[in-house]
Amino acid sequence: MTPATATAPKQSKSKTATTARPGAFAGNLLRVDLTRGKCWAEPWGPERMRAELGGVGLGAMILYRETAAKGGKKNVAWDHPDNRLVLGTGPLAGLPVWGTGGLTVCTIGPGTNGPTSTQANGFFGTNLKYCGYDAIVIQGQSKGWVYLYINDDVVELRDAKSLVGLDTWETQNALYRETGLVGHQLSVYSIGPAGENLVKFAAIQGDFGHVASKNGCGAVMGKKRLKAVAIVKGTKALRAADPRGLMQAAEDMSHDLQTDASARSLYEYGTLPGVVNLSKMGALPIKNYTTNLTSNVAGADMSAWEAPKLRENFDHRGHQCNACGMHHCHMSVIRHGDKKGQIVDEPEYEGWSGCGWAIGAADRDGVAWLNTECDRACVDVNEWGWLCGWVMECQEKGYITRDQLGFELKWGDIKGAHRLLQMVCRREGFGDVLAEGVKRAAEKLGGPAKDCAIYIEKGATPRGHDHRARWEEMLDTCTSSTATMETGNPVHPTEVGQPARINPFDGEQVARYVAGLRGRRGFEDSLGICIFTSRTRLENICRALSAATGWTFSVDEALRFGRRTAAINRATALRCGHTGALEYPSARYGSTPVDGPAKGQTIRAQWEKMLDTWYAEVGFDRKTGKPWPKTLRDLGLDWLAKDLWGKKS
Amino acid sequence: MRVLRIHPEKCTGCLRCELACSYMQTGEYQPAKSVIRVSPFEGHTSYAPYTCTQCAEGWCMTACPVGAITISAVGAKEVQDDRCVGCKLCAIACPFGTMFYDPATRKAFKCNLCGGAPACAEACPTAAITYEDVETADWLGDFARERTARVLAEAR
Repeated sequence: MTPATATAPKQSKSKTATTARPGAFAGNLLRVDLTRGKCWAEPWGPERMRAELGGVGLGAMILYRETAAKGGKKNVAWDHPDNRLVLGTGPLAGLPVWGTGGLTVCTIGPGTNGPTSTQANGFFGTNLKYCGYDAIVIQGQSKGWVYLYINDDVVELRDAKSLVGLDTWETQNALYRETGLVGHQLSVYSIGPAGENLVKFAAIQGDFGHVASKNGCGAVMGKKRLKAVAIVKGTKALRAADPRGLMQAAEDMSHDLQTDASARSLYEYGTLPGVVNLSKMGALPIKNYTTNLTSNVAGADMSAWEAPKLRENFDHRGHQCNACGMHHCHMSVIRHGDKKGQIVDEPEYEGWSGCGWAIGAADRDGVAWLNTECDRACVDVNEWGWLCGWVMECQEKGYITRDQLGFELKWGDIKGAHRLLQMVCRREGFGDVLAEGVKRAAEKLGGPAKDCAIYIEKGATPRGHDHRARWEEMLDTCTSSTATMETGNPVHPTEVGQPARINPFDGEQVARYVAGLRGRRGFEDSLGICIFTSRTRLENICRALSAATGWTFSVDEALRFGRRTAAINRATALRCGHTGALEYPSARYGSTPVDGPAKGQTIRAQWEKMLDTWYAEVGFDRKTGKPWPKTLRDLGLDWLAKDLWGKKS
Repeated sequence: MRVLRIHPEKCTGCLRCELACSYMQTGEYQPAKSVIRVSPFEGHTSYAPYTCTQCAEGWCMTACPVGAITISAVGAKEVQDDRCVGCKLCAIACPFGTMFYDPATRKAFKCNLCGGAPACAEACPTAAITYEDVETADWLGDFARERTARVLAEAR
């Protein structure tokens, strides 16, 4: 194979960057300019490492510094060559802590035309760090399709013409054949047809089943004509400052996961128990939020959806991420029906929801198959569920005609849904309208069809729950600067001074809770660790980070770090035009459940008050959306206060 | 005697054994220097770790022209760095591919059972690698015979 363009990265010239850095970091950022076809290593030093860590901490800073439009007041759009695609890991990636293969994608995404932070696991972070890089920062746009090949110091942009049109699994298999490597020797993160065709909720999928899905990050990759990133398991070394301390912290974390009531089922069955558990709270989204009763889905037998039965319905085998002992990710083989014998990735809860309940389907084999088809096409399974469910409802009600769509699509029709998926990811016929994502498609149709669509006014869509029964997630999703939840679910909330539980339908309490929990998510997403294996006390994670790096990282510093990152992302989002006027759920998303456990609970009635409380608690200005100068100064962001408020700061 | 036993059906391919092994062998996390390696099988649906079985024949020892491979107190074939001349004959002789060569040190290296407390078995979260007493040194032969018989029976 002849590389289309090949430039070996420069070796680090800065001695301080390589000799004084904590050994848990690889020490270099890999810069890739697709316009010029150049790749080079950029050393980064210990001070910056501590200030930015990796993942979203690093990505937020790069987006803020490097994606401003000329003049600095506005931001470049998602499809501009100057947009950055940051594929970051973190200081714990590649170390023997459970679930540390982490990838965090930060970019300006097409869903909101604003910043995003979205995670996947697998072996991306492990392989990249053993090649000597902590993150890949991609800029520019290639003229022809390329893929990025990384093998220690050999970094090449290779011709990817032969990969165009392949889905993500086919791409990974093709690159296995091309390189002669297999399994975790080669980590591949790629886009399928949806990314190539700039579907605005396209995802980046890797290592057979791991998906960074939010805000259309796959479309950014498609716009840059980067088909895949293929990383050989490198030969370089990582060191922990205190190896025994690191193992001790890792063991404490795994002990928490195996024994704590809040994590135990996750340890045993991953996110599978979510289906039944959330249905009991009214938080399982059913038929595009038209009902919360599972009995309204044809053929639904909830006893078959209990986690053990869900797993045992398939021949299955553990398929874990780096150093992980969870019984979470599995590869499955379909036993029954016309897809018998096909290998699929065991769906996460959100796959069961987006390819199942949200579209009125309860055929477990069919849902699992469709979920993997979504991964292979590379679409965000959540937005897919909202889109497909919306089309189904609109057809039922006559808002989208059979002629418009080209066929009839009824609730629970897996084959029809697959046909729709192919139309969307190839932008065929009506699929071209739908490929713009739920919000833009709904606005194009307007009228009563728009009122049925689930989205956030910023342009993104929620995760795969019915947030009308989980108000804290709706508030988090709408106020977030990253097109998805920024604060995340409460994990050991008392550790950070928050109550163990609140009244979930009291807007005031919810807003205080969401504000009070801020910080943890941004910290975790900067470490290269999985969202699920970090479901332990924050103190354990801080100890792991301290042992890995030799720093003393406290819980307070961790929260402060996360809040700092959120403030930087907010500044970028403001530059992208995200004002407070967009922090609202769509009519259906913020509607009142008509049945089920949360029947009659109306979030919209409390929404303004919730926003007021949230803004006051986080120290942001309700009118402009900006963090107050004092808030920024308290976070050590004096420079950002000057940027946002000028002399007034 | 105690040997490292592999239970491939339990392996989920997390590679924690490689990290633990490389740390014990080198003081750093560097899977490229691990002497246990995990390989994928059947597409991407199954994995199995493999390392030196400390086999009774010890072809590496037989092949070594300078007597650099000796048997340690815990029964591990061990490379003596001060004697090894880096000729790689042991790596060629080993039928299992579990003798490695480090171009940086120009020495052969292999599993030494971590002196009797193998880090891989300790690190494995699914007990796919165990360190246990077996009646015969040739446990791998038993394993192969049992598996071959099963596969043949299934094929019939």
